[in-house]
Amino acid sequence: MMLDEQQLQKLLRLKRFEQPPPGYFDRTLNEFHRRQRAELLKRSALQIWFERFVSGLWSFRVPTYAYGAAFGAFLVAATIVGSGVWSPYRETVENGSNLARVASSPKGFELSSYRLALSGDLDWSKFDRSSVSPRVVPVLRPSQTALPRYVLDGRPASYEASFSF
Amino acid sequence: MDDQNLPDDETLVRRTQNGDTRAFDLLWQKYSPRIYSLIYNMTANHEDSNDLLLEVFAKAYRSIKGFRGKSSFYTWIHAIAVNMTINFVKKRGRRFQLSLDDIDANVQNDKELIDLAATNSPIREVDLSELQQRLNEAMMKLSVEHRAVVTMFDVQGMPHAEIAKILGIPEATVRSRLFYAHRQLQNYLEEFRKK
Repeated sequence: MMLDEQQLQKLLRLKRFEQPPPGYFDRTLNEFHRRQRAELLKRSALQIWFERFVSGLWSFRVPTYAYGAAFGAFLVAATIVGSGVWSPYRETVENGSNLARVASSPKGFELSSYRLALSGDLDWSKFDRSSVSPRVVPVLRPSQTALPRYVLDGRPASYEASFSF
Repeated sequence: MDDQNLPDDETLVRRTQNGDTRAFDLLWQKYSPRIYSLIYNMTANHEDSNDLLLEVFAKAYRSIKGFRGKSSFYTWIHAIAVNMTINFVKKRGRRFQLSLDDIDANVQNDKELIDLAATNSPIREVDLSELQQRLNEAMMKLSVEHRAVVTMFDVQGMPHAEIAKILGIPEATVRSRLFYAHRQLQNYLEEFRKK
């Protein structure tokens, strides 16, 4: 005959009597204190600081109204940006158009010539050495200024074969 | 101090969080026997239980500042103990040592045992130590997760809901694990009886 459920439970309940000898828990508490002291001495100041920091983070409670305040701040910022009262990009766009204006002016043309001269991409045979222009200024063709040349890995990108991976 | 006269857990935890180490000693006094019993019934080894008991309380002491009282201290420290013991047993493998020398002498006078031995049951012929040994061997054949559920429910008398909270599993899973574990134990003990 097999043990029934009730008999098994009674048997298992007997296991609660499996206890260590009297005085064991007091002795173990002393051992616990000794280990705690040893651990405290072993740990560096940095470790102790880190543990305190982590436990401080755990005990830090965000007040409930903080979530509402954060959402409110987000709404205000979204309204200001959305309505166009202030845009963080406007200044950048305006700066960009100013640069374009400068580049198309004669002064800008002269500046880009200097830049080409410094980079070594200049055809020196096309210099205009007339008396009208006492300074050495190269005559630039539109092809030299209109399109930038992109160089990948030391070779112009236009020289790369299309099937080269 | 008698356990009945101890301040409630919430007070002791708050005092410990404020740096009162004596309060933690009282928590030790209150819970160490139960935690020891839990660990011992899962490992079946006194030395391992001793080390794990110290580690469980050391971890609880280190983490108590982060304890926010969402569950009771009882549930919290049991959860630490169960998780640490499961990890330990899985790392240790299947090695275990049954140390029955520590059984309390009171067990011989326990009413339940006397009743059990007096009834016409298949286990009446074996003596107590043999019975305990067989039961422990049967327990050790269960997986550590099943052993944890059996220990908490049958040995410590915890309700299903409390065990579910400690293990972080649904109550239905606790019930099904118990059912399966009881079946296995019944089969193992039956095999012993036939020998």
